[in-house]
Amino acid sequence: MVDVRLEHLSAEFTHPSRGTVVAVRDVDLHVQSGELLTLLGPSGCGKTTVLRIIAGFQVPTAGRVFIDNQDVTSVLANRRDIGFVFQNYALFPHLTVQENVAYGLRVRRQSAADIVRNVEKVLQLVDLAGFGPRLPDELSGGQQQRVALARAVVIQPRVLLFDEPLSNLDAKLRVQMRSEIRELQRVLGITTVYVTHDQEEAMAISDRIAVMDQGRIAQCDTAEELYRRPASSFVASFLGRTNLLDASVVRRDGDRVILDMEGQCLSVEASAAFGAGDAVRAMIRPEAIGIGPAGEGLRATVVTRTYLGDKVEYVVRCASQDLHIVRFNPTESERFTPGSEVTISLPSDGVQLLPGN
Amino acid sequence: MLSLIWLLLALFVAFPLLMLGIRAATDNGTFDLMPAINALRQTNTLRAFLNSLLLATLVGVLGTALGFLFAFTVARARVGRLMAWLLDTATLLPLISPPFTTSIAFVFSFGPRGFITHGVLGWENAQVYGLRSTLVAEALTYFPLAYMALRPMLTAIGGNLEEMAFSLGSSRWRAFRTVTLKLTVPGLANAFLLLFAASLADFATPLILAGNDLPVLPTEAYLQITGMFDLKGGAVLSLLLLVPALLVFLLQRRLVARRSYVTLGGKGVRASAGDSVTPKLRWVLVIGCMLVVLFIFYLYGLLAYASAVRAFGANGTPTLANYRVVFTQGMPAIRDTLIIAAIAMPLGGLYGVLVGSLVGRVRGGQALELVSMINYALPGTVVGIGYLVAFNTPPFLMTGTAAIIIACYIFRYSPSGIRTTIALLAQIDRSIEEASTSLGAGTATTFRRVMLPLVLPAFFAGLSVVFIRSMTAISATIFLVSIHWTLITVRILENMTELSLGPAAAFSIFVIVVVLVVTKGLELLLRQLSGRSAQLMMVERE
Repeated sequence: MVDVRLEHLSAEFTHPSRGTVVAVRDVDLHVQSGELLTLLGPSGCGKTTVLRIIAGFQVPTAGRVFIDNQDVTSVLANRRDIGFVFQNYALFPHLTVQENVAYGLRVRRQSAADIVRNVEKVLQLVDLAGFGPRLPDELSGGQQQRVALARAVVIQPRVLLFDEPLSNLDAKLRVQMRSEIRELQRVLGITTVYVTHDQEEAMAISDRIAVMDQGRIAQCDTAEELYRRPASSFVASFLGRTNLLDASVVRRDGDRVILDMEGQCLSVEASAAFGAGDAVRAMIRPEAIGIGPAGEGLRATVVTRTYLGDKVEYVVRCASQDLHIVRFNPTESERFTPGSEVTISLPSDGVQLLPGN
Repeated sequence: MLSLIWLLLALFVAFPLLMLGIRAATDNGTFDLMPAINALRQTNTLRAFLNSLLLATLVGVLGTALGFLFAFTVARARVGRLMAWLLDTATLLPLISPPFTTSIAFVFSFGPRGFITHGVLGWENAQVYGLRSTLVAEALTYFPLAYMALRPMLTAIGGNLEEMAFSLGSSRWRAFRTVTLKLTVPGLANAFLLLFAASLADFATPLILAGNDLPVLPTEAYLQITGMFDLKGGAVLSLLLLVPALLVFLLQRRLVARRSYVTLGGKGVRASAGDSVTPKLRWVLVIGCMLVVLFIFYLYGLLAYASAVRAFGANGTPTLANYRVVFTQGMPAIRDTLIIAAIAMPLGGLYGVLVGSLVGRVRGGQALELVSMINYALPGTVVGIGYLVAFNTPPFLMTGTAAIIIACYIFRYSPSGIRTTIALLAQIDRSIEEASTSLGAGTATTFRRVMLPLVLPAFFAGLSVVFIRSMTAISATIFLVSIHWTLITVRILENMTELSLGPAAAFSIFVIVVVLVVTKGLELLLRQLSGRSAQLMMVERE
């Protein structure tokens, strides 16, 4: 089994007009063997650079890369035994599907008979049996994607690397392909690093997600942990929608604290880092907030109401802060129109405290 | 409008060719192939034909290799800004210089009194004339065409495909061989044909450098007509030249028309990969390019030096005498050239835009494009002799006028304007015109406010190419000048044959400066008018 370890990885570029640009800052990461780990972040966060460094296309300014406990930092890409899938597939346009897939096997000097057998097997695996003699531009986008995938896995690489492989496909195909990639990866059990900027894709496909921000890894955990317990407001707002409310800690009560939020008291779970008098930001997901007719409790005014079939989205104003609320499977009687007064209820679990400003 | 264009094409493209054929195949008004066959059977003719093909093949190979070296270096070796500027300048200079420039500099460098042969090595009576000099001079003059054709291709193939091959375990050399080179093959073939055609048509270089032992078709045809007053013999020779030229033209069109691989998967392509060459190879590439660049600069430097001394190789006293000659005895030629250029420029620009916009939007547009390219595809010698034969007699008596030279320029140097217009219009969706109409604009307003600004770069490209060629062309117009209208390039040639090398050098420098100033001026004007920065495409061979 093969794992990938990055230690204190940094990468700098000299940009013609902006001078030295730091793309990756002191990244530590351990990809477990057989795991699919996603690097998620906005464009320019350094995720592709990290991937290209793992592949060997780029040399880090500092830090080391280990594949299978072996330091490969100075090993060239063609000696690392990796499978890479590019955003634009990078299919060799002058070679047929069969020749594209066979390319890596030829380099490895497999016998002609083995090549034919292996190519046939992998094409069957990606559902492209019979497409061997075609040229890449005779295929649809999804099919090209499969060829790229087949070409990367046929060499039985130690590590599979994906650079936004689905971003050139339409929405429907994207959903289909991502489950196919996930299935294939599970079957083959190849350690995989996957880069995307699409949080839904990341959540659907990954064992773990490393959220990156400005060259750093902001948090690395399972999708569920990241969603429920984000470590920063960046992670909170990058994964799903969220409300960040200003509040202050009134007092500590065991492993919980009592918050003052717009004059309402709320008891929430909190780490020992927060004590009485601290200004904090409470992260609350829109679907965790309740909404009801005006009465006792936290009062708010409805600003907008958007009906989306399976759910209704509200924006309400509560004192000086705007709150997003999502109600799933809304009943027909629940119609809080803009301008109407409502009472909102904040849950005691599902609130995550972050340091205030 | 369309029929007017066809009429003009019939008169200035088809008619001269037809007359050329008739002239070669008739004798005193009766059909008689014997004189033509006799002319062909002369051993000299055969030699010239074979020499032309040999020279063109060698120039094609050497020039393509140089062009590939430059293009690969720029696309892969991460050259700095200064280096890129040097490469651009070294490849631009030959394209905008009078066709003799390299040859004259070769004489200054390697001739009997040459800087290297005589000055450095101390040889007496060095032999500069022959195949070797002609080959190298032509390759240096025309390799920028290969560079311009190959560079976008190599950039488009880009790093991703090479990285892919690399990640699959290929060595750098294997990735280069199986991916990069394979994908560039159509481009290399195209570049070879471009250079082959350019060399086949080149008149000036062999006239000066080939010497007596290397007769080629364009010079033989010229000597036949001007030396022996044998118009028929010249016509036959030029028709012989027409065969390989047309073949290459058609071959090249097929090659370019065939869908290129490179367009596949355009999204997300990285500009270039720095890692496709090793640091060592990078230095080899950079040094290789720099040697060529330095040699080109050396040649131009030598030319500038020779123009500013009393007698190159004998008397190095600085003097302006050569330039005095240019602006006194040379004045009529300068005046004539500028007048002709000033008239040909707007007409040629307009003609290019007109034909270009008709090609995409009328039936028979393809045929229109093909015919409009013929005069450019043919060697100047063929066109020049064709015009001489066709417009020598009523009803189209034009010999000796400026009009015949202007017509020659317009119909020969319009391809840039036509092609740029076609390319620009192909990017413009029909709906843009419809959007303008839907906003209440009439046809005239739509044309003026929408279409005109969009094709403006094409018009300017046409202007600059016609101007550059008006200043530098010779192969066709050498047959069309007269006592009333002469040209700077013809004066340079006369100077060379009279061995007044100083004034010839001064004339060349003068032309280069004027061309640079005017094209830069046109570029600035275009930027002013369209608000966009645009590099004018002005790369066409003579």
